[in-house]
Amino acid sequence: MARILCIEDDETTAREIVSELTAAGFDVEWVADGREGLVKAVSEPYAAITLDRLLPNVDGLAIVSVVRQAGIDTPILMVSALGDVDERVKGLRAGGDDYLTKPFASEELSARLEVLLRRQRRAEARETMLTVGDLDMDLLTREVRRGGRELKLLPTEFRLLELLLRNSDQVLTRSMIFEAIWGYRFDPGTNLIDVHMGRLRRKLDPPGAQPLIHTVRGSGYALYPAR
Amino acid sequence: MPSIPRVDLSLRRLWRTTAFRLTILYAAVFIAGVMALLALVYADAAGLLTAQMDQVIIGQARALSREPVDTLPARIDQAESADLRHVNYYGLFSENGIWITGNVRVLPAYLRIDGPPGVLRGPHFQPGARGLAKRLPWGEILVVGFDAKVLSGLRNIILQSLLVSGGLILVVGLSLGAAMSLGPLRRIQGVQDASQRIIDGDLTARLPVSSRGDEIDRLAGIANTMMAEVVRLLGEVLSVGNNVAHDLRTPLTRLRALLYRAEQSTGEGDPRQAMLEQALSETDSLLARFRALQRIAEIDRRERRAGFAEVELEPLLRDLAELYQPVAEDGGQALTLRIGPARPIQADRELLFEALSNLMANALKFTPEGGQVTLTLSDRPRGPRLEVADSGPGIAAEEREAVLQRFYRSRRDQGTPGSGLGLSIVAAVARLHEFELTLADAAPGLRVAMDCWPIAPKY
Repeated sequence: MARILCIEDDETTAREIVSELTAAGFDVEWVADGREGLVKAVSEPYAAITLDRLLPNVDGLAIVSVVRQAGIDTPILMVSALGDVDERVKGLRAGGDDYLTKPFASEELSARLEVLLRRQRRAEARETMLTVGDLDMDLLTREVRRGGRELKLLPTEFRLLELLLRNSDQVLTRSMIFEAIWGYRFDPGTNLIDVHMGRLRRKLDPPGAQPLIHTVRGSGYALYPAR
Repeated sequence: MPSIPRVDLSLRRLWRTTAFRLTILYAAVFIAGVMALLALVYADAAGLLTAQMDQVIIGQARALSREPVDTLPARIDQAESADLRHVNYYGLFSENGIWITGNVRVLPAYLRIDGPPGVLRGPHFQPGARGLAKRLPWGEILVVGFDAKVLSGLRNIILQSLLVSGGLILVVGLSLGAAMSLGPLRRIQGVQDASQRIIDGDLTARLPVSSRGDEIDRLAGIANTMMAEVVRLLGEVLSVGNNVAHDLRTPLTRLRALLYRAEQSTGEGDPRQAMLEQALSETDSLLARFRALQRIAEIDRRERRAGFAEVELEPLLRDLAELYQPVAEDGGQALTLRIGPARPIQADRELLFEALSNLMANALKFTPEGGQVTLTLSDRPRGPRLEVADSGPGIAAEEREAVLQRFYRSRRDQGTPGSGLGLSIVAAVARLHEFELTLADAAPGLRVAMDCWPIAPKY
């Protein structure tokens, strides 16, 4: 079971993070104080860290910098009430891997954390072929086939499918998708992503076929083969 | 940001100050008073002098008329040559007015014979000269006149003093008035400078107060007290807002998490699932609205022009159209992109995209199936104009200002989902860039234009 360090001074938020991540199957350790969190982060092996931006004693930004200077590349998800673009840029520049603004849906947190963990595991492997079930995507020829039948995808649809394939079995929230494909951080409303997803789905999962793209109620989308 | 024009200290502005006008008025009244006084002095003195002259004339005429007629011409010549100052006039005329002797050559016909002394007119007489005509016992007419030159001298003195004193009063009054008005004008300029700093967002600026404690100081003092109160209240509102935001954030997140967990734990076919799903979606829209509010505050807080860079509008609009094309197609609407050549602008690309994205989402939301949404980029003399037009129901003219405010939901919003904050975000982005946002009738539909150049000051 992957160990996660949660550095968060607000008890209620911390409790939510702990219960969400525990429910998602992680072993979570909670620390409320910045200095204690820093000591743990550099001395013990964790799979990932969630880090509040504003902390007593040692600030979140300082923790990220020190951890990275110590040569530790544990994925760090920064969680903050400071949603300003500048703050986000500061957090990511200091060495954070992702930045989540409060208030957030708890499954958004676990979804983002799992993507970080997967990215970490996959860091060395440079695939040229992505496969899930009977779906293949050739990244060099940019061909996509489902059950041997070639699918004609528009550039955006291709990128969308690549994102889903790279994170198969993984919930991707709408804001994660919007961020990854279009590169913007604002809230585009639920409808926009749903429409793009719907088009991809019509090409990918024709009527009668076992669906590969699944809607995760209330949170987002996931791609996994029929079980 | 509105700006106050600086007070100019030119004469035209000076004339419009109260102090200056009052001084001019005082000077005018003073000059009128001096004129009245001098006129009175002149009238009195002239009356007295005239009476004295008349006495002299009457006396001389009486003395001459007693002279026997054969020695009279010689007597007159004698009197004339004795008059070294040339102040006396004499004339002896025959019964029918023919000149016999004396320095008056023509009988002044306008003098009543044997009447009272009167004014002598004509080129030979000094102004103010007086004389009388008297018939002698033998029928000849004797004219005696006198001009002490005092009356014209007096008049000159009075006129001169009037000119000198009037000029003096005017010059001294004007410079005094200018001096008196320049001081306050300079101080008002100081007040305006301070006000402009406050309008520009420097809430620590205060109006200057001197040690004099006059009206301007008292007004400035009142304004400063008001300003301090506004700053205090603003601070309170901000901290209340921040506290509310902080206090709501955590329970909202927790509520969302609990609902989500409850919804996940209900089995398929559980009748409570639909209710929980609805509660979850309500909470989501609450969170979305909350995030939008935070977003507006964040945009408003942002350091002006920090993060601005050169933005090419054409690729931005193509991205936007590409992003919304599927939405339009699903809704059976036609999305048209009209791009003319336009120069790049200084802007925050992400925020501009967010604003346009909000406009686009709105346009598509309100346009019925078969309708038309047009995204236009055109070049205007002062910069590029971005326009999103739809063929929906539009917004009534009287509602167009209000829809840019937070939470305002117009009549067309009824029955459609949304936070009511989309246009407020657009307005906040426009405010940050100092771009002008105008809502107009697209007949039918709504046309929103963003003029990508700084708004000219309104004052």
